[in-house]
Amino acid sequence: MSIAVDALHRVFESGRRRARRTITAVDHISLRVEPGERLAYIGPNGAGKSTSIKMLTGILHPTSGTASVLGLTPWAQRRELTRRIGTLFGQRSQLWFELTPMQSYKMLAAMHDLDGDAFRRRIGELGGLLEADELFSQPVRSLSLGQRMRCELAACLLHDPAILFLDEPTIGLDLLAKQRFRELLVRLNEERGTTVFLTSHDVADIEYVARRVVVINHGSVIYDDDVEVMRRTLLSTKLIDVSLGHEVEFAARPGVVVTEHTPSVLKLAVDTRAHAVRDIVDGLLTDYPVTDLSIVDPPLEQVISEIYEAPAR
Amino acid sequence: MTFRALRVAALTAAQRVVFAPSAFIVSMGIYGGVVAILGSLWRTAASANHGFVAGYTGAALTWYIAASEAATIPLNTRLIEMLGDDIASGAVAAEMLRPASVVAVRIASEIGRTLPHLALCLVAGTGLCWWTVGAPPNLASAALVPLSVALAITCNVVAQHAFAAVSFWIRDARSTWFIYQKFVFVIGGMLLPLEVLPHAMTTVAKLLPFMAMAYAPARLASGHFEPWLLLVQVGWITALACVAAVVFRSGERRLQVVGG
Repeated sequence: MSIAVDALHRVFESGRRRARRTITAVDHISLRVEPGERLAYIGPNGAGKSTSIKMLTGILHPTSGTASVLGLTPWAQRRELTRRIGTLFGQRSQLWFELTPMQSYKMLAAMHDLDGDAFRRRIGELGGLLEADELFSQPVRSLSLGQRMRCELAACLLHDPAILFLDEPTIGLDLLAKQRFRELLVRLNEERGTTVFLTSHDVADIEYVARRVVVINHGSVIYDDDVEVMRRTLLSTKLIDVSLGHEVEFAARPGVVVTEHTPSVLKLAVDTRAHAVRDIVDGLLTDYPVTDLSIVDPPLEQVISEIYEAPAR
Repeated sequence: MTFRALRVAALTAAQRVVFAPSAFIVSMGIYGGVVAILGSLWRTAASANHGFVAGYTGAALTWYIAASEAATIPLNTRLIEMLGDDIASGAVAAEMLRPASVVAVRIASEIGRTLPHLALCLVAGTGLCWWTVGAPPNLASAALVPLSVALAITCNVVAQHAFAAVSFWIRDARSTWFIYQKFVFVIGGMLLPLEVLPHAMTTVAKLLPFMAMAYAPARLASGHFEPWLLLVQVGWITALACVAAVVFRSGERRLQVVGG
């Protein structure tokens, strides 16, 4: 077991005396993560994702509950744990801005007790894997965000960690940089068996990288399953895109929403709890001048929004 | 964590100063100006007082100021404030993800950063004093000054980390910084020898750690061969390092980092 969490609970206190109030950030979460898993740990802002990661990496102490990461209690054995995990916070750099990444890596290597040969070999491997050799000798402050994130990833992979904790790692990256970063994560997982524990608000990160998704809201786990299973079981809507031969009127009905209607295009969202998709398609083909028709699932983003809005199960 | 990590942190910080020397040059200019002005003031005060102030000659006071300023000017003047801000904002959390003591690495880096400044201060101060008032009053005690100044800087950096760690509780270290700085200026002996203060205050000041941050090397530089001052400095460094380690460790448990 890579990660085992039982009834993990964290409360933050703010204000003084009478104005003191408590905020439950993480509410008795339990979770198991197997070695080599790629898990997306998602939720709306303030759901408790980052607080969970900070407890699992030992930065924060929980109010109650237990957690074991690679057999260690994170907050009690933090330094030992940091030798075996890699952590990347998209909004906090672990590189020294005035230095080159290589200078930062040398400091990190000294902290991880990597000797000279092991360090050079590792830097060579990471430079190739991340296609970042030429970036390592430039000052961090002169790197673009995408370049810096590759160097950040190299920093957290320097000691060959068994688990990667990534907290919004693609935030602020452009589309190409995001995609490249996702491909790197998948390669790392497939080639090295590195467990990936990812939080992100970007649905494409989840779609591309994760095989399992855990949804957290108001501090509690409200969904935990494979991404594909989530997509299949939680979809109550199908989207039907129709190309029309000529302009027609379409009579809307309960459970069928017209999302777009032009002389040549008709787009419908069908509530599958009210209608069988087959019935709607049969009706369209019979009564309308259909030249083309496709049925698609709504985007994963919509599925996730529905989970966020649903009561905890 | 091994000593190697601290050595690399100190050397890397020293390299940063050498290869980006603008702040370095400014602080050297300030050092030269302060030593020239305060040295001149103290020599004037001594000559107006039959050649002595609290037992120090004008020349001895010039060497005193050169050493006390060499022990304080190379330091980052906003260290407590910056460290306090990093704690209060949670930025220190990223450093907790390394297999090394946050406070030890920070102290090593800061000492490394001051070493090139210190080396230049010692050279410039020696040259300036020799040119204005002649050779040091006592060569044997002067030989101890470089080590004592290095210990003074170490003591100051360690103490600032111990003070800044209150940010884990009070969330704002600025007030701490203001008080700390004034203590070093006056009862640390940076601006004036402790013997100039009223007798009771001199006694109290010599019992506090601030004397190890400026007075100790300055006293040696002014011709007083008192090697035990080095032991006092080492004692305060050890005590303050223990305080900083304990305060940081208990402070880390209180760290509140909300959100990404």
